[in-house]
Amino acid sequence: MFVLIPRAPRAEATILHADLDAFYASVEQRDDPRLRGRPVIVGGGVVLAASYEAKAHGIRTAMGGAEARRRCPGAIVVRPRMSAYTEASRAVFREFEDTTPLVEGLSIDEAFLDVGGLRRLAGTPEQIAVDLRRRVAERVGLPITVGVACTKFLAKVASGVAKPDGLLVVAPGTEEAFLHPLPVERLWGVGPVTSEKLRNRGIATVGEVAGLHEDALVAMLGPASGRHLHALAHNRDPRPVRVGRRRGSIGAQRALGGGASHTDVDEALVALVDRVCRRLRTARRVGRTVTLRLRFGDYARATRSHTLPHATDRTHTVLDTARRLLSGARPLLAEKGCTLVGVAVSGLADAVPVQLELALDRHDRALDVALDELRERFGSRAVTRAVHLGRDPGLTVPLLPD
Amino acid sequence: MKFRCERDVLADVLGTAGKAVSARGGALPVLSCLRLALVGDTLRVTGSDLDLTITATAEVDGTADGEAVIPSKLAADIVRVLEPGAVELEVGDDEATITLGRAQFNVRTIPGTEYPRLQEPPQHGVTLPSHSLAEALRQVVAAASTDDSRPILTGVLITTEGDGLRLVATDSYRLAIRDLPGTSLLAEGQSVLVPRTALQELARVADKSAEVTVRLGDRDAAFDVGGVSLMTRLIEGEFPPYRSLIPAAQPNRLTIGREALLDAVRRVKVVAREPSTPVRLALRADGVDLSATAQDVGTAFEQLDAKYEGTEMSVAFNPDYLMAGIEAATGDEITLETVDALKPALLRSVDVAEFLYLLMPVRVA
Repeated sequence: MFVLIPRAPRAEATILHADLDAFYASVEQRDDPRLRGRPVIVGGGVVLAASYEAKAHGIRTAMGGAEARRRCPGAIVVRPRMSAYTEASRAVFREFEDTTPLVEGLSIDEAFLDVGGLRRLAGTPEQIAVDLRRRVAERVGLPITVGVACTKFLAKVASGVAKPDGLLVVAPGTEEAFLHPLPVERLWGVGPVTSEKLRNRGIATVGEVAGLHEDALVAMLGPASGRHLHALAHNRDPRPVRVGRRRGSIGAQRALGGGASHTDVDEALVALVDRVCRRLRTARRVGRTVTLRLRFGDYARATRSHTLPHATDRTHTVLDTARRLLSGARPLLAEKGCTLVGVAVSGLADAVPVQLELALDRHDRALDVALDELRERFGSRAVTRAVHLGRDPGLTVPLLPD
Repeated sequence: MKFRCERDVLADVLGTAGKAVSARGGALPVLSCLRLALVGDTLRVTGSDLDLTITATAEVDGTADGEAVIPSKLAADIVRVLEPGAVELEVGDDEATITLGRAQFNVRTIPGTEYPRLQEPPQHGVTLPSHSLAEALRQVVAAASTDDSRPILTGVLITTEGDGLRLVATDSYRLAIRDLPGTSLLAEGQSVLVPRTALQELARVADKSAEVTVRLGDRDAAFDVGGVSLMTRLIEGEFPPYRSLIPAAQPNRLTIGREALLDAVRRVKVVAREPSTPVRLALRADGVDLSATAQDVGTAFEQLDAKYEGTEMSVAFNPDYLMAGIEAATGDEITLETVDALKPALLRSVDVAEFLYLLMPVRVA
């Protein structure tokens, strides 16, 4: 379902951005009292999540395990328990939905909530946020940070500033005073590249961005980014909270041991594509854009994508495309080694209508369907590809939206 | 270098050779230029992106031999805006002057030495009637893929079939085959994969002359037709095994007037605002019902009389792909043969056996 709730221009701060703190690590600390108050790392090969105690030692998500242990030799490393996280996420989303019907999930651990019009029923947005934090702490046992503001963008910035275990309300009229002293990296869409471009020109704060003319930003960053940042720096974000928004992409990624070769990456990629396409077919969706994400031994990242002429849910087509993208990154891979590979299919649409393909490569769609049925009935390891025989399928995690 | 000629003559050679110039220029800016060479009264204009090279020749009124390298797009734009009449082009040290009447343009040139040395075309040539080749190309080339991520499918397979030639192209959604019986070009069992882009340009210029000379090398192919020569790099790799895809017999067969079906699809397609909206064909004993439904837009419906043998069924197609197949087929009547709504449908002309078009349906349920 996709429902757009039209709303009047907003003078009141009624949008909550609720974000669980160090989600996986917090679940581990909740379930094992010995971990509380100590630096905890979830995931051995690569850091999937780090507790705030671990983050204090400079440990970051997606850092290599060896590097993390070097920075904090006393850290406790635990194996991820995906089912526990999924369960905790569901419990938290139940609390969101008890708060307001207008919930837009962003990922497993964060969501926007619109609490406009609930004042008489439940109190001011601030009171609602206080109550939500209390309920999540009491009923689910997890710390959650909430940002409250008049736009989605600002609510997200506010929760980012309030972390961990905090609450921050940006009162109407104080938006620019709150926003302008912040570093530019707080703006949605400012990654390392844009940040460097801005800082090279001596622009370090949101206020300095806001002081620039839109044309100047466009000249600096290109039309899309320039306009986007100009709007955000002036706190213009008209997007409403969208209920039950469907996922824009389906993907999976996998961490690899240091210095994985092209063959290792290819094997992992085959397994990931199998999994992603099965999820596509289960969800009765098809997608047009295949995105390959790689992280190298030196933490550099590469993202490559290709858009197909027609949307597909066929394993063979997605794999073929992903492999072509991978072969384009071959020189980088040979030089640096790969530590993480991810694949996502986006540009999703309903599985009908869909343009069917000729069985040029003798891989009929019937094969995909037959394999899905076998795995459905006998488990995901019931059938495997020859390249994966005798191999540990490794841990794959759902790819969270950026 | 200095010559005079009619504006249209110059526009034609610049336009033809310009088709090979890469829009981006790429790593080599000189590739966004054309090379002009004048010997006596013969002007040769060459454009290339290193994969495809097109040279167009014209007879002009030459005064001084020489050569020049000028920006392709700018030169074509200038000549296009000139009034009809005799245009004069004179090249100085680093400028070309284009004059027509009282309009004059001075364009900076690039030293001729910077233009890359292009490969010589293969030696051995075979001459074919250009009319049948051009028709075959128009029928097949459109089915080749435009998606560069699958290079093999961006080519047209030219192979032998019986005592003749066969052209095959597919973008994995449809497949077009055209046979040219009695035309010999290749050695028995030989086949080449020629980029779609080169053949598209060849089809465009093939009408300039009654004959086309084809030269095939190991890595390149060259085509000469009416003062234009195209040379293209061949695509390396195996074309997918396509023969097994063509069904021997299909249980359901629609026989219908070609123009009538084409017009009806074109009308019904109007409501399909997105390319992914299919046109549905409901096949019944004495005809076919065409329909298209676009959510939030509306529907279109049209009934056509036709002969249909088989079980009543409904099948949906991408309207553009269906129209391309109907247009490529020749003759008054065509047949559309199917197994079911998910299997490839076979489209061909009732009285022309040399062409067939295989089209995958759109799944709608």
